Amino acid sequence: MTSWIDVSCILAVFLALTILATNRIVGMIKIFALQSFLLSLVPLFLHADAISGRDILLSGGTMVLKAVLVPTILFWAIRHISMRSEIKPIIGLGTSILCGAALIAVAFWVSLSLRLPGKLLSSLVLPCSLATMLLGFMTMVTRTRAITQVLGYLVIENGIFLFAISLYDAMPVLIEMGILLDIFVAVFIMAIVLNHINEEFERTRGSASRAKWGESS
Amino acid sequence: MLVLLIVIPFLGALAVWLPVRVMFRVWFLCAVSFIHATIVASFWWQRPVPELQGYLALDPLGLILLSVISLLFLSVSVFMIGYFQHEHRGNRILTACILALLSMMTLVSVSYHMGLLWVAIETTTLFSAPLISFHRNWRSLEATWKYLLVCSVGIALALMGTFFLAIAAHDVHTLLLPAILSGASSLSVNWLKLSVIFLFVGYGCKMGLAPMHSWKPEAYGQATGMVGVLMAGGLTQCAFLALIRVSQICYKTGLSGFYASILIITGILSLVVPAVFLLSEKSIKRSFAFSSVEHMGLLVLGLGLGGVGIFGALFHMINNALAKVVMFLTAGSVAQKYGSSRAMEVRGVIHIYPVTGIFLLVALLAGTGMFPFATFHSELLIINAAILSKHYALAGITILCLAVIFIGIARLVLEFVYGKPTEPVLAKKENFFMNITIAAAAVALMGLGLWMPAPLSQVLHEAVALIGA
Repeated sequence: MTSWIDVSCILAVFLALTILATNRIVGMIKIFALQSFLLSLVPLFLHADAISGRDILLSGGTMVLKAVLVPTILFWAIRHISMRSEIKPIIGLGTSILCGAALIAVAFWVSLSLRLPGKLLSSLVLPCSLATMLLGFMTMVTRTRAITQVLGYLVIENGIFLFAISLYDAMPVLIEMGILLDIFVAVFIMAIVLNHINEEFERTRGSASRAKWGESS
Repeated sequence: MLVLLIVIPFLGALAVWLPVRVMFRVWFLCAVSFIHATIVASFWWQRPVPELQGYLALDPLGLILLSVISLLFLSVSVFMIGYFQHEHRGNRILTACILALLSMMTLVSVSYHMGLLWVAIETTTLFSAPLISFHRNWRSLEATWKYLLVCSVGIALALMGTFFLAIAAHDVHTLLLPAILSGASSLSVNWLKLSVIFLFVGYGCKMGLAPMHSWKPEAYGQATGMVGVLMAGGLTQCAFLALIRVSQICYKTGLSGFYASILIITGILSLVVPAVFLLSEKSIKRSFAFSSVEHMGLLVLGLGLGGVGIFGALFHMINNALAKVVMFLTAGSVAQKYGSSRAMEVRGVIHIYPVTGIFLLVALLAGTGMFPFATFHSELLIINAAILSKHYALAGITILCLAVIFIGIARLVLEFVYGKPTEPVLAKKENFFMNITIAAAAVALMGLGLWMPAPLSQVLHEAVALIGA
């Protein structure tokens, strides 16, 4: 099943690049959901000849939390915040894609010098996971909206997840579920804070007392 | 016993969601903290056995942190009795998050598995975020957002570092600390180095070391004093325990020199940055936040220098926590009386509230490490370690930075205390519960400065032996 893992890895990077190159928030969330769904299948590909209960639990958990619940929360957040509008990145979309391509090259170049101990099913896992992480960082720093920063964070987490599930079996499943749950709760709390920010914004709209975002007292 | 210690506060966090009176929740929090403190105190006589297949275990390092945390929560809950007599805001989310935080910080100090440690530290980030925006206004929301985002991304890097560690420990097949330490010779050094860098940046972000400290002034500036105590004394030191765990692994694998250089550089940077920013700071909570960056810098500096520095750093963990109780609770008490913590609105406190004014002066001395407070001794030990290891320039820079930081904080605090009095916006009397908490912490800190109890000294020495100086 190595070829399937290869395909998943490449698609994950491709989707991360697509998120970087998308300027509609709804589109970004949908692409993220697709990426998470894809990654949730990787544990099944990994032990395709003998799928254990652990693999199913991990795969199912990821699918439910990351591909369904997290996008639902994000959709809830943008419905309340009415932020569906186009967003203007700090640097243009064309430049973003070029930078993203450069980052992918960097990830592959760095992983050439890293040698993994033990056997490895696919040589693409490490470079692709690094590339996904870097693209997530790129999404985070080039976008100005709060919700796109959350999406960048989630793409980084997906990169880490790809790395984690493909490489080794040292982590007990309970701790992996703990990690997943933590990320889910993080997004949940971020959505609530976003909602509070929006309420406060509406309440103080037009009043001179409000400091500008980023201006500290 | 350890499981119980984690579960009790967590059940308490669920219980305070019930519709009860505001003061009832505070008394309930007090009771839970008291039970927690009693159990932790019993550990000083009888150390608990490891539980859950060795995932939870309490070693001397964990015991120090656990005792500090227990003390912090106890003092904060007593302070809250006084605070909520004047506060008309609901406290359901506040008390629930504080109890959940107590449970998770306990988990941090007893977790013996690097993955579990990560989960616990990330969860503390999540439960502390709602605490910052207790006064729900524009600025506190911004601070919460910054804290959440910076720490989440930082902690994500630490997760990556944990996975790298797992690759390095490929032959050990587990991330349980004793197994890693005993199989240290089989670790792959290159992966371990990569892992150390990621873990350091990740947990350093949570600890608020410069240059990853950007969330600190905002978050502490906006949080209420009680929350400031829990974050500056508890959360950041939980992250420091993670760095100590990394140090244990580095020592066993002969990477001490590599790790020490990272620690020393960051430590010095964390002393220089607050020294620069404090000279022009106008808000007392923000200046205490920079002081927290400084103390974190001292901790990692002590750990990096080794020898007597490690003893100093571990002793400083306790002193820093007590000093933070005095500093942030006094700031919180001032902020509640004046509705602000900035020098423009608060001046001449000693003329209107003599006791609070004196506490401000005590906070200045305790926070900047003046004799007879114990912070003086631990800072001296760390500087001593720099001189003993022939880092004379390092010792010089440290002393210079500490002096500048003293001037920076003293300038602001003296203006607060002796300036031309301003009318308090929300005139309130001094409160017994609030003052007794601050006084107790100050007395304890002074006591530790004059006399160190034998059991404490013994546990500190055992802890130093674990890090392997």
